[in-house]
Amino acid sequence: MRKLLGLAAAALLATGGAALAEWPEKPVKLIVPFQAGGTSDQMARVLQAGAQESGALSQPITIVNVGGHYSIGSRRVMEAEPDGYTFLIIHIALMGGEGTGALDFGWRDFEPVAGAGEFCLAPMVRKDSGIDSVEQLLAKAKDEPDTLIFGANLGAINHLAGLMLQEQNPGAKFRFVQIGGGTANFTALTGAQTNATVLSGAEVVNFTLLPDGSENPEAQIKPLAYTGAERFDGLPDLPTMAEEGYDMQFCVKSWVFAPKDTPQEAIDGFAAAMEAATETDRYQKFITDKGFADVFLKGEALQQDLESTWTAIEPIAKLATQK
Amino acid sequence: MDFASLFGAIGQIFTPWPFFMLFIGTALGIVVGAIPGLTGAMLIALTLPLTFYMEPFNAVVLLVSMYVGAISGGLITATLMRMPGTPASVMTTFDGYPMARSGRPGRALGLGITASFVGGLIAWGVLFTVTKPLSILATKFGPFEYFTLIMMAMVLIASVSEGSLVKGLISGLLGMLVSMPGVDPATGMPRLTFDWYMLNGGLQLLPVLIGTFAVSQIIKDCLDMGKLPDRAEVNNRGVLMSLRDFRRHAVNMIRSSFIGTWIGILPGIGASIGSVVAYTMAKNVSDHPEEFGRGSEEGIIASEAANNATVSGALIPLIAMGIPGSVIDAILIGALTIHSIQPGPTLFLTNGDIVWGMIATALIANILMWILMTSSVRYIANLIYLPRSFVLPVVMMFCVIGSYALNNTMFDVWVMLMFGVIGFLLERAKIPLGPFVIGFVLAPLAEQKLRSGLMMTAGDISPIWTRPFPLAFTIIAILLLVWPIVSDWRRKRRAA
Repeated sequence: MRKLLGLAAAALLATGGAALAEWPEKPVKLIVPFQAGGTSDQMARVLQAGAQESGALSQPITIVNVGGHYSIGSRRVMEAEPDGYTFLIIHIALMGGEGTGALDFGWRDFEPVAGAGEFCLAPMVRKDSGIDSVEQLLAKAKDEPDTLIFGANLGAINHLAGLMLQEQNPGAKFRFVQIGGGTANFTALTGAQTNATVLSGAEVVNFTLLPDGSENPEAQIKPLAYTGAERFDGLPDLPTMAEEGYDMQFCVKSWVFAPKDTPQEAIDGFAAAMEAATETDRYQKFITDKGFADVFLKGEALQQDLESTWTAIEPIAKLATQK
Repeated sequence: MDFASLFGAIGQIFTPWPFFMLFIGTALGIVVGAIPGLTGAMLIALTLPLTFYMEPFNAVVLLVSMYVGAISGGLITATLMRMPGTPASVMTTFDGYPMARSGRPGRALGLGITASFVGGLIAWGVLFTVTKPLSILATKFGPFEYFTLIMMAMVLIASVSEGSLVKGLISGLLGMLVSMPGVDPATGMPRLTFDWYMLNGGLQLLPVLIGTFAVSQIIKDCLDMGKLPDRAEVNNRGVLMSLRDFRRHAVNMIRSSFIGTWIGILPGIGASIGSVVAYTMAKNVSDHPEEFGRGSEEGIIASEAANNATVSGALIPLIAMGIPGSVIDAILIGALTIHSIQPGPTLFLTNGDIVWGMIATALIANILMWILMTSSVRYIANLIYLPRSFVLPVVMMFCVIGSYALNNTMFDVWVMLMFGVIGFLLERAKIPLGPFVIGFVLAPLAEQKLRSGLMMTAGDISPIWTRPFPLAFTIIAILLLVWPIVSDWRRKRRAA
């Protein structure tokens, strides 16, 4: 019996010491708080495959999709053992949820690890709307407040972007209507059920251009500007918001987080693996196809990015909850 | 119509790799569809990562044939065990199971398989011919159009419930009630979650469905274990339908197929509703409505023809406009975008081979499904005579795996078990389960569409009667509600 106890104690010591040993000793879990198939999931899987290919991590990454509301998977990571084997991949929804009060936790309850794959948005209107610039759109929203119907997924990215847009001209007011994501808004705008929305750069290309890059004559909608710091490669003629005279940027990255108190060694190691993954051909092809910018952030730069995004998003998210 | 492109794609499918994909996809789809708790949506979602490494054409062939197989396979367990293998086969349980229990499992399966085949073929004809004009019509649908359409579906469902209308309504309202917690569709904020974050996503369809239909049946079977099984003679007669059968059921089969196709086209309303509407229609116009729910041949045919027809129907808006016609289509769109193929108006121009690959697969997978299922049904039909003590633990295991695999949370497993008990108790109280599930599925859709519409019009509800489609749907709904009452009254008067 004593021998058995001794063995058990030895086993305990062995597992207890695991966290101190060389990281990683076992497969690393990356939790995607959405069902399989979405953009976040695709991003996670490309990073997983890229990390594998580059050989930057001696252990495989396993992807776990936790569906339902994204708060469920996020919370699971927040409450996970901070042993360096559980990570979360999520985007600006985490900040939106904290700002609107839909979540009772937020990005500061995690350790930031990495940020990658940025895309920005374009305000869209119908070609027959008589609106040719952001200025005209906002002027109309100011002259006739609460009449221009803005299709959005309320509380989500496109809603926040619409709110930030209307704040550029104080007094302007859209009527936000629950429509859904990009494809649903494309359909609603094409069917003239809505007057405006925002789409990602890649969606604008898919919905308004022919494959050779020329304008699709059947498209009934057009972009007005791009919310990135620079023009979007896929739409070189589309001015940025800054060029149009507005100090507005709205871009979305995939962020990787770890639970608080995760060992620095694991955070650095996983960030390095993600960075290596972004350098593979597979990842580069993926972001080109998706219209994402080749951005990679970690450490101090990531912290600054998170803070500036939060400064911009927090007041907007508060607006989202007002009727 | 472009026969050259179609034959080109068919030719490509009959090369080794694509054909292998087609065979594997259809066979796996049937098996997974037959297992309660594992759905086509799950199979396709789990297969999606594998298709990253395939040629786009092969990937599309694999996924579409899985879709066809899974919708078809559901009828096996629905008929033999009263457990819908997929949600789309719920209506098949009402008549398939009583017929199988009365000693004609072969006949029940044969009717279902052939109706599935015919439904698939007819819908495919529509897919091939009218993809473009029909999808243009569907894009004109705004929230009020959808709302009235769903209300029409709900009215149809109210008359589906067997037995007392009041109990049917109670069941439907309970279903609507449990669909309420989760994210408010109009504000994006959690509601009715009692500050319990696991409820933020609401109760998921799959665990609720598996619980109410599969687990409640397992509980019931366990309690009846001593009495089972009825050892009827194994009987596979009637698997192949005779010419006389075809003549007798032709009208029903064709009508149900077209209903299924049309409902498949409408985004968000999938195979389950298609079979519900076709079943109700068949019941309302039948000479023997009293047989429905007791082993009616017409009931099996209506349900199965319609649910298979929704597959091709749902591909129409997917191909032409990039709008998913069903949950599985939403995953298919994900698969296409992975291969940098954007579904939408230009797809025929840019990726014609992929479009025609999808269309050809819908046809050939349907034929292969019929061959596979008719040839193997004599073995499958024997499942019903396996001792329950062997079968139930296996089915229960798949229920747990299926519920867990959906979101990788134990919460869904507890939900499933809870709804197993609820379903069991409801059945004990003679409250039908069909309206419960339909209310659960449709209430959130109807709410979201109505609230979107009201946000657009600032609270004005008049588009319901000032726009042509909402008006038409409302009128049809009223007629459908009144029709059974009137025909009942006329029959009574004639009898008097």
